[in-house]
Amino acid sequence: MKTAVVLITAIVAQAFGDVCLTKGMKAISSLDANGGGVSESLSQIWHIALQAVQSPMIWAGTLLLIVFFVLFSAALSWADLSFVLPATAFGYVLNVAAGAYFLGESVSRTRWAGAVIITMGVLFVSRSGGRAIEAPPGEIEAPGVAE
Amino acid sequence: MITALLIALVVLGGSAGDVFITKGMKQLGEISTLNPGRLAGIFVRAITNGYFLTGVFCMAVSYFSFLGALRLADLSLVLPATSISFVIATIGARLFLKETISRVRWAGILLVCIGVALISIPAQP
Repeated sequence: MKTAVVLITAIVAQAFGDVCLTKGMKAISSLDANGGGVSESLSQIWHIALQAVQSPMIWAGTLLLIVFFVLFSAALSWADLSFVLPATAFGYVLNVAAGAYFLGESVSRTRWAGAVIITMGVLFVSRSGGRAIEAPPGEIEAPGVAE
Repeated sequence: MITALLIALVVLGGSAGDVFITKGMKQLGEISTLNPGRLAGIFVRAITNGYFLTGVFCMAVSYFSFLGALRLADLSLVLPATSISFVIATIGARLFLKETISRVRWAGILLVCIGVALISIPAQP
């Protein structure tokens, strides 16, 4: 259960993190768009970086992705990499759904098909058992957290 | 050619990063506390663990190779190509972390790999 709680939290944090980053970065590029195409000059990159560090959305997105990485690493302290890695791929499915819902992105049939296949794959992996998927019971100390 | 090399670096760097981070975290032992003081201690041990740091370095190499590959090729090529990482990382987990991977798990991983490749193909304009 511990693995499930940690990984689901990680995946949700990652999906929301990606949405925040996309929103933040899109806001920046639209500010810059009046100068024609985005050139790769250093001053442009500097300009974008300067705006990025001032954007609360980008801070929120970065923070959420850090949360993802910390939880991902934590899960790897007890669970198999060959379990954790494909399980977090469910984040792609959430990303597609979040992109469609929060960012108004149009999602092609190919992408929905990909999302369905990933979901099937994650179901297979979650049923695959194997070493160290479940933590020994009674390991979480704080009361009222997890199950 | 350089594009292929960079994509290989993205995949190998990312997979090696995952394997090293797992090795580092396994060295720390199972995290089974929610005590903030102890968690802080585990955090410090993680970011000073050689394997963990090597893993983070590999991931940085992978990320910058990804940015480099995007300068030379379309995202629609680079992103689906990197979905093979799931298979490469699993082979790494088997070889270097001695994980046993059942047939069902392999089947799931292959499905994830195919699904991620499909999802990464951008919509046709």
